[in-house]
Amino acid sequence: MATKWSYMDHWVTETPQGPLPPSFNRTYMDRYVKQLSALGFQGFDTFFFYLPMLQGMYGSVPAFEHFLQDNGFEKITGIFSAYPYATKHTAPHVRETHDRIVADCEYTLRGIEGLAGVENFIVMPSSTDWQTEPVTDDKIKIMADLWNRVGRITLEHGLKTTCHFEFWGAIRTRPQLELFFEHTDPEYVYFFCDTAQHTIAGVDPVQMFRDYKDRCTGFHFKDTKNVDTTGMYRTAPDPELMAPDVERWFYPMGEGGLVDFPSLMKEIVASGYDGWLTVEHDKAELGGGTYAEATCLAKWYIDNVLAEAQREAEAAL
Amino acid sequence: MDHWRSNSPSGPIDQWRSRRTMTRFLRQVAAVGFDAIDTFDFRYWQILEQYGSVANYQEFVQEQGLERIVNTFHGVYYEPDRYAPEVPETHATIVEDFKVTMDRWSGIQLDNVIVMPGSRFYDDHGPTDDQLKHAADVWAKVGEVTQQYGVNLTCHHEHYAGIRNRRQIDTFYAYADPRYVKFFVDTAQHCIADVDPVDVYEAHHERVTGFHFKDTRNKDVNEDYKLFPDAEVSAVTTEKWFYEMGTAEGLVDFERMMRSVRDHGYEGWISVEHDKADKLGGDYAESTAISRWYAKNVLDGIYAGAGA
Amino acid sequence: MKDTLRWSYAINAWNLRMDVFVRHEEQQRALKTLSVLGFDHVELASGMGGRWENLGTPEIILINHGSAEGLLAFLRRAGISGVSSWCWDPGQPAEETGYAFLMTRNPADHDAIVEAAKPFVDLLAAAGGDQLVVRPAGSAWMAPPLGDGDAGIVGSLWNRVGEVAAAAGVGVSLHYDCLQPFHTEEQLVSLLDATDPALVGLALDTAELTIGGIDPVAFYDAHHGRVAHVQLKDTRFQDAGQEYLTPGAEATMLKGGAGRRIERWFYELGTEGGLVDVEAFVASLRAHGYGGWVVVEGDKGGNATEVAMLNSWFLQRRLGVEKV
Repeated sequence: MATKWSYMDHWVTETPQGPLPPSFNRTYMDRYVKQLSALGFQGFDTFFFYLPMLQGMYGSVPAFEHFLQDNGFEKITGIFSAYPYATKHTAPHVRETHDRIVADCEYTLRGIEGLAGVENFIVMPSSTDWQTEPVTDDKIKIMADLWNRVGRITLEHGLKTTCHFEFWGAIRTRPQLELFFEHTDPEYVYFFCDTAQHTIAGVDPVQMFRDYKDRCTGFHFKDTKNVDTTGMYRTAPDPELMAPDVERWFYPMGEGGLVDFPSLMKEIVASGYDGWLTVEHDKAELGGGTYAEATCLAKWYIDNVLAEAQREAEAAL
Repeated sequence: MDHWRSNSPSGPIDQWRSRRTMTRFLRQVAAVGFDAIDTFDFRYWQILEQYGSVANYQEFVQEQGLERIVNTFHGVYYEPDRYAPEVPETHATIVEDFKVTMDRWSGIQLDNVIVMPGSRFYDDHGPTDDQLKHAADVWAKVGEVTQQYGVNLTCHHEHYAGIRNRRQIDTFYAYADPRYVKFFVDTAQHCIADVDPVDVYEAHHERVTGFHFKDTRNKDVNEDYKLFPDAEVSAVTTEKWFYEMGTAEGLVDFERMMRSVRDHGYEGWISVEHDKADKLGGDYAESTAISRWYAKNVLDGIYAGAGA
Repeated sequence: MKDTLRWSYAINAWNLRMDVFVRHEEQQRALKTLSVLGFDHVELASGMGGRWENLGTPEIILINHGSAEGLLAFLRRAGISGVSSWCWDPGQPAEETGYAFLMTRNPADHDAIVEAAKPFVDLLAAAGGDQLVVRPAGSAWMAPPLGDGDAGIVGSLWNRVGEVAAAAGVGVSLHYDCLQPFHTEEQLVSLLDATDPALVGLALDTAELTIGGIDPVAFYDAHHGRVAHVQLKDTRFQDAGQEYLTPGAEATMLKGGAGRRIERWFYELGTEGGLVDVEAFVASLRAHGYGGWVVVEGDKGGNATEVAMLNSWFLQRRLGVEKV
């Protein structure tokens, strides 16, 4: 099988105003795309809130996609949307806010009209655990109802609503994940496997893929060096950056982390999955790294270590 | 102590890039409340090129609000065939080198010329007693030269250097003439080598003429000091050895150090050093400000409490 | 700073982007830096809200520190004794307010803006702060040219917020920035004239005025009675004409995305080629007996620590202000 790799957009680069995202201006964005292109990425995932900036820099979001295509990309593959911090306006576990969230999603869908074919509408299905507590079965079912609604709408636009679970979100343990998938319609709600997030939450991402491969529409390949064993997921207001004992949760592949990427790759090959595989670097600059270097090392890992795992798995088919 | 790096449009640079970058560096050091700077004597050629003379450079330093240049660090790559304190055949060269060096810096009044007193030893044994004696001898001769200029010759012991552990340090100073060979305490370097910086200071305080106050989070427990070419950059388990004072998990007890400095009546300069502060996402400017905050808020009060 | 003027520093210089400057250790390092540079008060700034605005929005500050007293205790750990002021842009969509896009030129939004201001006023007052520094109106390029009634509409809103703030013991000052629509000296004065001097003042930003083509020294001399707050920074550039009207001017103008491609506008005091006569401006403050806060800013200037150190150097060595 020919694997297709996309890149999830967290990039930060040096500017005269300090280290900032390449949306700083068009020149920086062009350089960023060229760097990804040089490494051979073919897909580009981004956040919903970058869409207006892309429109501003390139005239329209499709014009940005054309620029990607001029640089060897196939297309924009995924759009990420989320409500990490629950408010009275938007909170997936609060049914009264669902109309607003659905309206937001419809707005985002209008923002990507004219693109070649975005495949994934990636969502965080919940807000932070600490704001959702107590996390009851009923709340998980309410969240399932929301994404069933959203999933039906996005599918009409050709996108699958696919759920990306944070270690600090309200759907994080294996029983919670199972209950959520039980109450979501497999036709409308899919699974997006973030290897690091599940590992931190004490969930085996390889086993998750094995069990939900029929609903899996994508991956964030990133690593971690810590499992949260002390309840840091409950840190308010934000466990991702403020956990008391862990300054940095996420690492690139191949730096001695806990995720068994070769095993995952073999499972992917064995399953016949033919969708996109995505590299994500979140906070790669912590501890003195750079996004450019982390991305090169990730692609080296893909082309060497994962390619070997893929060959072995294909030989075993 | 001059190890600064900052970002520029062409990547990380040191302050010697231009007079403009030097101005920014000196103003930042002055702004947080330091009174003077130290430098390396290999900067001599850049000083000539950019400022014309050492005296001119010091004037430039003063224009930015600092008093003067206090110490210069004389770093040499030691080779037994050519230049090594443990090898008597090379001593004439070493003494000659310092005659030239002192002449170069004679346009200003330094307190100390700082040296690494021993060569590297990559084996278990380190220098023999005889070799320590030879080293002590040559530094006494050099000290005689520097004192003609009113400058102390003072020894700084790297954690990976030949004179690193407590026995070696004590033996070296037992041989070294206290009139001419002084001691420069680097809190982090001693700590990494498992030498208590306060204890070693108290044992030799009469000949101490300066300090590098910096911290570390790691002792060398893997014999990193044997690594070639340089344990400071090639240690396997410790990517960054040095941190600013006040760092979390720091191993140096600066409060105890300061009490001891006070109680022994030390009135010379104390230098703050940041060595490789930019590793692992660090920043020289920030480390400089944080260490001055620590000195002002924690150490100054201890020192001012003399006799209390 | 030991001075007859009250000096503060804007902490937003460290909050470069949404996912940095979140951990308390990072914030302590910035606060210690400011402390050792001689500053003992800070100015806060709001942003997009949400879980990472730990020194930006009232709700998140209270989650972090419990109360105004908790916030002050956090500042005091580093030697910072208080909050001088808080910058707030009601037109900046924030998570807590459902990303509402509120416009001060739209009277229908005024009730919501007054409500949104209250948590800022309350926490600022409880923390002993002096000024709520507000963006009077959204960027000029985003709306039609000012009409005859706009100054009155916008002024009436800020009078209402000023009343709420005054009741809590806090002042409101309108911050001039080079993109907002009350751009010329005449327009700016028309806005000030539409407000009650007892409730609303001007936050004079030396670099922003200079970029906008207004000489801050001359303006202060002429209007010092209305200046309730000062932000001090330098710039090397002026708007060449109507660059502020370029669509997306926040990026196209101020990040060099178009036109002259100037990628950095704001600089430390005393920068080479700086257009602000800082010494003359501060002398004018002294001459007129200015009693408000003077907030030194280093935002959008690269390495926040380096810029803060250079700003402190300028205060000590060029303005003769002694450190605390």
